[in-house]
This record gives sequence, C-alpha cells and structure tokens, in this order.
Amino acid sequence: MPPRIRLASVPLRRPAATQGPISGIEYVCRQCRNASLAAAPAQIDTVTVASPISRHPPTQPPSHKPPEFRKSQLHRQYQSMLSSSPLMLVFQHNNLKAVEWTGIRRELAAALRKVDEEMAKAGNDAYMGSSMKLQIVQTGILASAMRIVEFWNPKFDAASDGSVPSVHGLSKKAYHAARKNKDLQHGLEPLLSGPLAVLTFPSVSPQHLKAALSILAPSKEFPAPKRKANPAYHEPQIQAGLQKLMLLAARVEGKVFDSEGTKWIGSISGGIDGLRAQLVAMLSGVGAGITTTLEAASKSLYLTMESRKSVLEEEQKGGESKE
Amino acid sequence: MLTKYITSVTTAFSPFNPRSGKTVRNFLAMLPPNARSTMAIDVKMHDKSAIEAPTTLAVKFKDGKEMKLDVEKLKLRDIQTEIDRHSRILRRQEELTG
Repeated sequence: MPPRIRLASVPLRRPAATQGPISGIEYVCRQCRNASLAAAPAQIDTVTVASPISRHPPTQPPSHKPPEFRKSQLHRQYQSMLSSSPLMLVFQHNNLKAVEWTGIRRELAAALRKVDEEMAKAGNDAYMGSSMKLQIVQTGILASAMRIVEFWNPKFDAASDGSVPSVHGLSKKAYHAARKNKDLQHGLEPLLSGPLAVLTFPSVSPQHLKAALSILAPSKEFPAPKRKANPAYHEPQIQAGLQKLMLLAARVEGKVFDSEGTKWIGSISGGIDGLRAQLVAMLSGVGAGITTTLEAASKSLYLTMESRKSVLEEEQKGGESKE
Repeated sequence: MLTKYITSVTTAFSPFNPRSGKTVRNFLAMLPPNARSTMAIDVKMHDKSAIEAPTTLAVKFKDGKEMKLDVEKLKLRDIQTEIDRHSRILRRQEELTG
C-alpha cells in the first residue's frame, strides 16, 4: 500500500545563508528519508522545493549547548536570574531537610510580606517581597552562568539594518567570550563550590534585606523575632534548619560583599529614600561650611584691620599725651 | 565519613580563601543533617579583609582525643581519611566491648 501522505521526495534545501554544516553535523531528516524511499516516484529531479525552509525561527536562534537538556535550561535560567537581580545573598546549606526548607521559606515569605505591607502603607506599593525567592542552585552551572553574565556583552543593538541579531547566552559566542577571559575575576570564585542556595532580590531594598537577614542569619544588629511575637519561627525544625544555613556573601550590583558588608547594606535606614535624605543633609551641611569658610577670611581681615586701627589710635593718643 | 564518634567540631575560616575556605566548607557539608544535636559545632567565619587569617579545624572524639587538622596542607579527602582512621578504632573498640 502506498503511503497516505505524499511528501516531496527531494532532500530539503537550506537557505543560502546557512549553507554548509552549522555545528559540524549535517542535519538529516530521517522521516523524510524513509518516506522518500517508500514513495520513490520516478520524477525526482524535476521536483523543486518552492520556498527555502528556515532551520530555526528568528526568535529561537540555534544553541551551542543542546537546548533539550535540563543543564542548558538551568544555565539559561541562572543567567536571567543573575542579570535581573541586583542584590543576591549566597548561602551554604549543610544537609537541610525538606521540612526545614519549607519552614524557613514560610517564615521568610511572612517576614517579607510584612515589610511589603508596611511599605504599601507608606505609599510604595510595588510588593517586591513576593518575587524574592530562596532557591537551591546547581553550583557548577551557576559558576558558568556567572562568567557569561559578567564577561560577555551581548550587544543586542549591534545590527544597523534593524534586524535583531540572534544572540543569546547559550550561543557559541557567549561560551567563548566567557572562556577567553580567564584572568578576569568576578570575586565570587572561591565561594562557588559546595552546596549553595541563593536569595534573589529584584531591586536593592535594604528594608527587605533587613527582614531577610533577621530571619535567615540573625545577629546583634538584626535580631530574630521574639518568641512572643512570632512563635512559629522558634519551632525546633526551623531553628535546626537555620543552624545549618550559613550566610557566605552577597552580590550587590556586580560587587561582592562579605557578611559584614551585607549587614552594612541592611542597616541603611529608610532604604534609597533614607540615603537621599542623608545626602541632602550632608550637602546642606557642606554648603553652610563653605559660607562660613568664605566669610571667615573677610571677617578675619576686618578684625585685623580693626585691631590695627585701635592700636594706631592708641599710639596717637599716647603720642599726644606725651607731648 | 564516619561521624558517629565525633563530639565536637570547632573551626574558624574565611570563605573567601580559595584553598582552606573551600575545604572547611565542604567538610561542614559532609556532616549529617542531625549533626547539631549529636555534636557541638562552632563555626567562626572571617571577613573578606582577613582572607589570609589562620584557618583552624579541630575535631574531638568520644574517647576524648582531640584532632587538630592543618587545613592548609590537607585536602578534603585527607581530612576524611584522618577522621575515618580514628573512628574505625573507636568502632572496633565498641564492637569488642558491646
């Protein structure tokens, strides 16, 4: 019985731009080949394909790493995570159990929600806390993704003819750009080994950071919530989990901070608005200082002249009395 | 690694030190989930400014032996070997007596 679907039995042609093997392997469509064998019409040479078939849609350029692997997708996901979160805390997790993770995540979400509600009352209703996520990462893949994010410039707007160039973080170019600069260091290299978890923030928000630190890494500056205020936090499961979670470092807008630096960022009171207020106060202080400094010269000159005048007058008087 | 016979782990290290920091962190990651209830674990982390600060790792065992491990020289595998060597002696004693 002949096959029901009659396919054009000529080998599929590539567009002129992509002639030649793309990645060293010639693409062979097994299905078409089998169909052509089965059908085997006589006029093979006369049939031509009407339009060249594009190998990939313009929005999905070919990938250097096989895209169907979980590894590749995690790599892509970590790149997007790193480039979209200016503030990231890096933790080491030493054999935490699943129940401990659930408890910690629940407490963290509750604390962040509280901060969100307070900020909403003050007029800032971005509700950023809902998009902050504590996740375990695959360390090796994160290390590779970090190099690509730091050392590869995608140059999205390079094409002059208006076409969007097919660049993406899994491409060969990105791979080689990250590999080439072996001397470049992003500062987190010594930390990228062992079991890691990261907490990502969509923006640098000291209030949220403060809440997160007081839950995940309590210290003198950021005390944990009291037992009366939050009894769920003091459950043995959560406390056991927190003992095994170590804050290693923070990555803030590409720079690496240790735990002390992280605490310093968390201690910025009032967030970015607080910082602006501090800057304004400082600048106005500087202004006042400048005016006094500038005045001082004229004042001192005036004072010198005055004293000289009085001295001269006294001398004159003295001379008159002597005479 | 046999962790049953360890009673306390005391360490001070800098996570930013590419050699010793990694070793100590990976050692801590090898302790079992219930380690905090069976042994006393004291971890002190140095700042980024003190990368070259001396790294210490001391392990105490049930028989009272204290083992100070030189993290600068030993790798993770060597530390594991050292601890296992003494733990096996303790296990043997326990088997013979109990």
